[in-house]
Amino acid sequence: MRRSLPFEFLRYAMILLIIAISLVPTLWMLSMAFKPIAEWSASGAALTWWPENPTLDNFRFIFGQSSSELIVSLERTAARPIVASLLAAIVGTLIAMTAGTAAAYGLSRFGKGNNLPLALIQLRLFPPMAVMIPLMIMWSFLGLIDNWFGLAVVYGIVTLPFAFWLMKTFFDDMPREIEDAALVEGCTRLRVFAVITLPMMRPALASSALFVFIMNWSDYLIALLLTTRDWVTIPVYMTSLSSSMTGQLYGAKAALGLIAAIPPVILGIAIQKHLVRGLTFGALKE
Amino acid sequence: MTQIALSNLGKKFGSFTALAQMNLTIGDGEFVALLGPSGCGKSTTMNMIAGMVDPTEGDIRFDDRSILDVPMSRRGVGFVFQNYAIFTHMSVRENLAYGLRAQGVSASERNRRVNAMADLLQLTPMLDRRAAGLSVNILQRLAIGRSAVVEPAIFLLDEPLSNVDAAFRSVMRSELKALQRQFSQTLVYVTHDQLEAMTMADRIAVMDHGKLLQVGTPLEIYNNPQDVFVARFIGSPGMNILEGTIASSDEGKLVDLASAGRSAPLALSDRAASQGLPEKVLFGFRPEQVNPDPNGTMALPVNFVERIGARTILHLGGDGLEAKAVLDNQIAMPSIGDILRFSIDPKMVRLFDPVSGIAIGGDI
Repeated sequence: MRRSLPFEFLRYAMILLIIAISLVPTLWMLSMAFKPIAEWSASGAALTWWPENPTLDNFRFIFGQSSSELIVSLERTAARPIVASLLAAIVGTLIAMTAGTAAAYGLSRFGKGNNLPLALIQLRLFPPMAVMIPLMIMWSFLGLIDNWFGLAVVYGIVTLPFAFWLMKTFFDDMPREIEDAALVEGCTRLRVFAVITLPMMRPALASSALFVFIMNWSDYLIALLLTTRDWVTIPVYMTSLSSSMTGQLYGAKAALGLIAAIPPVILGIAIQKHLVRGLTFGALKE
Repeated sequence: MTQIALSNLGKKFGSFTALAQMNLTIGDGEFVALLGPSGCGKSTTMNMIAGMVDPTEGDIRFDDRSILDVPMSRRGVGFVFQNYAIFTHMSVRENLAYGLRAQGVSASERNRRVNAMADLLQLTPMLDRRAAGLSVNILQRLAIGRSAVVEPAIFLLDEPLSNVDAAFRSVMRSELKALQRQFSQTLVYVTHDQLEAMTMADRIAVMDHGKLLQVGTPLEIYNNPQDVFVARFIGSPGMNILEGTIASSDEGKLVDLASAGRSAPLALSDRAASQGLPEKVLFGFRPEQVNPDPNGTMALPVNFVERIGARTILHLGGDGLEAKAVLDNQIAMPSIGDILRFSIDPKMVRLFDPVSGIAIGGDI
């Protein structure tokens, strides 16, 4: 089909606009992270699109090395929040994926009706605040406030419905005959699950885990409520990057943002092959 | 080597009856095909034998031992699925070895049997390839091999050839038959393709709507269908069935077929004669039995001429009196709109009761 020239023009204009909207903030962060203070602060000469004197000062600064230009001293460095974020997000993802996969398999194979699966996703319909305040009190009572493990448990609970639902659709899509074939050959249900089902589900597990990890990694609200000092995560720590003298420390924030983007990107690349297959899992059956 | 006996077997899914009152004994080493259209209950029957589905009534026995409380992993049956159910994350070799490994067969014995089976099914060149990228034809061979390698006493195949291409299907038909002769397992084969049932099975069980209609050798089923459904279902095209009324003539009873004419005097069997005939009957004859004859007592207009190569199928009649005729190409072919006069050998006529659909008098 041949389309008219104005239509094609409009089409490409729209595509460019959408690309720009999604890419500009990322590029802005990338550029900002390597700018010296003079180029990003309001007190500086002029805002530039690209760093004219690229520097690693912003990175040095958030890891505790104060520079001559920026006479602000940080209470804490970024090292601990990065560890906290990694621990809480990874362990939270493990909890959600383990419980979610087991529940999804059980309900997909032996469950009746849709009430239980729907009830699980309904948990997410609550405004998070409605749940978080009582939870905060409970966690405080249990001594889990400002503790990476307490945060990881909440992350696991909060992302469990997603892990469950993603895995359930994947299990539903898997032809039952494959398990029946293994069972009829004389294997126990548990062995079939371990030797046949889970290995065949590798792409599904990988894409679900990435999704859950990104949700945990980018959480702000829960970490804000459940951590105070020792175990604040990257997003919470980022808000502390300001000073009464200079206002928001955009350079430092951009540097931290860039660091925060690394794990999801690395994971995404590592499981890229699985990711595409996981997303098209249902569509590729005969 | 095992005999399978199904007695009063039934399965209901809620209010839907998938299978009712199934009685069938499959002899030791016998090849039985369950044949019927989709939804007739043949796969349900098969799944109950394998233990994937529990029956709601009746019993299944292997050699006089009820196996209803034996879980599927202990029944010792081999099962081949329509969509192969190959473990795509494993290599061909691992797939073949899977059942042996589950049974705890030693590694050297495992290797020997896997290699022998791969040889037999010509899978040797791809033994170490991953199963994921293989063609449909090879996947089905592999599925058969994976079940056969453990040498099950009972081998169940659920439409194994319906996804493979036509040329490969005919190869597999002879290979499957050879495989069964070699291992002489008791084999149950579910199919909706009568050609597969006819060519491979010792006996065919024809099913429809959850009922077993007839069991017999392929020729018995073809020549003496016990039921109108079986008559129409078997053969390609199936048997012609025309409504008629019994009339008398000087030479004996015959069937009046209204505008299609009258049949030749019937050659009634003793049983049919003693049983007596109802007033109305269904008059059945195979399309291959239509014998063009200028003096024939029957006549129908030609509607459509379908040439299929060696033979030609004529579609005859209309208004509830429809029939097909399969003729050799050698004879002068009538064209559309012509009236075809023909006769049917009285010995080849089959009569059915119009109410129950059951054959009248068995062999006429």
